[in-house]
Amino acid sequence: MNAGILSAQNLCKSYKDKEVLHNLDLTIEPGKIYGLIGRNGAGKTTLLGILTAQNTKNSGEVTYNGQPVWENQTALNDICFSRELQPTLFSGPNNLKIKHYLKSAAIYYPNWDQAYAGRLLEEFKLEKKKKISQLSKGQMSMVTILIALASRAPITILDEPAAGLDVVMRERFYQLLLEDFAQTNRTFIVSTHIIEEAASVFERVIILDEGRILENTETEELIAQFRYVSGREDVVDRVCNGLKVLSTHQMGRHKTVAVRGDVVKLESAQEADVDIAPMNLQNVFVSLCGHGDAQ
Amino acid sequence: MRGTLNDQSLIYLQIARMLEDDILRGVYREEEQVPSTNELARGYNINPATAAKGINLLVTDGILYKRRGIGMFVSKGAGETVRQKRKAAFYDGYVKPLVKEGTSLALTGEELLAMIQQAIGEEKKK
Repeated sequence: MNAGILSAQNLCKSYKDKEVLHNLDLTIEPGKIYGLIGRNGAGKTTLLGILTAQNTKNSGEVTYNGQPVWENQTALNDICFSRELQPTLFSGPNNLKIKHYLKSAAIYYPNWDQAYAGRLLEEFKLEKKKKISQLSKGQMSMVTILIALASRAPITILDEPAAGLDVVMRERFYQLLLEDFAQTNRTFIVSTHIIEEAASVFERVIILDEGRILENTETEELIAQFRYVSGREDVVDRVCNGLKVLSTHQMGRHKTVAVRGDVVKLESAQEADVDIAPMNLQNVFVSLCGHGDAQ
Repeated sequence: MRGTLNDQSLIYLQIARMLEDDILRGVYREEEQVPSTNELARGYNINPATAAKGINLLVTDGILYKRRGIGMFVSKGAGETVRQKRKAAFYDGYVKPLVKEGTSLALTGEELLAMIQQAIGEEKKK
């Protein structure tokens, strides 16, 4: 299975007069698991919809192997975007059954693996005859995961697959994802709000903030650039001179700052009389996208 | 392989460190095969690229080597290499923080040395 390069250039998107994606560039390289993280309303689902030609754009270009994806069946055959299922459809309840979704997926995705779908259906204990509107939030996520995995599409995109899943099932999902990835080496893009437990699964992480890509970086390389530094105010200020300070917390003379900088400079800060603590991906995300909302 | 991952340091460094620990403990002996990238990825629910990065670090240090088409193996003298590597990091990682903490408690050099002597004595009795 050879995935190509999926790429967006100068992408703009507005809903009425509100621009939600601002001149955005993004390249998805083949054979990697990407994590897409961003706050509510950052534009994640809009971006994923446009990348997969399920949503329109105002300007810019999305290409797969150099060819535009819009109305391009050859490109779209390689791409699966498993959207979140909704309990309602148009104005009434979503009375479609799981088997209807499976049937249309089997028609739509040329690499559809029926046997794999069957195994997952059994593992997730999903009844094919159940209506979508009768499923719990977690079960709806299981259906979208099942379709994504069994599509065997070279580029597979999952939007919030962890939503509503219990912790055991979330761990199992990431296991399944890694098992599949080890076999197929296909490209995955996974959006999630439950960042920390997914961080080790993502080779690269894309951070989307208010319609702009802040980062598209190797996960561990990104995390290594951040630290918390705390201690006496003046010493902390001296140590952090030349580092980018992202947030500050002060209690009396005690000061804690979140900083970003090159690794050598951060290591040398260890010499001073301050405490230096590493961050995890969730801390990094809050530092970059918190905008002072969190206290 | 044992141990679990925490979020205190980068995962590839933890993977490398765990493999080193297991080499020191004799879990993996010289010329024995260590788990593959995919086995590590599955065992710890981590991206295979991260596991590979940890393994590559040990290859660079001459602790593991690759047999083409078979997998990764423990080099001859790997235990000694790990020990040398850790000795080199011991001063920065343990001695300096110890002295720093001692200084902030206003311990004198003599007091520090006496404590170290005492600890050495207790360790010998074990």
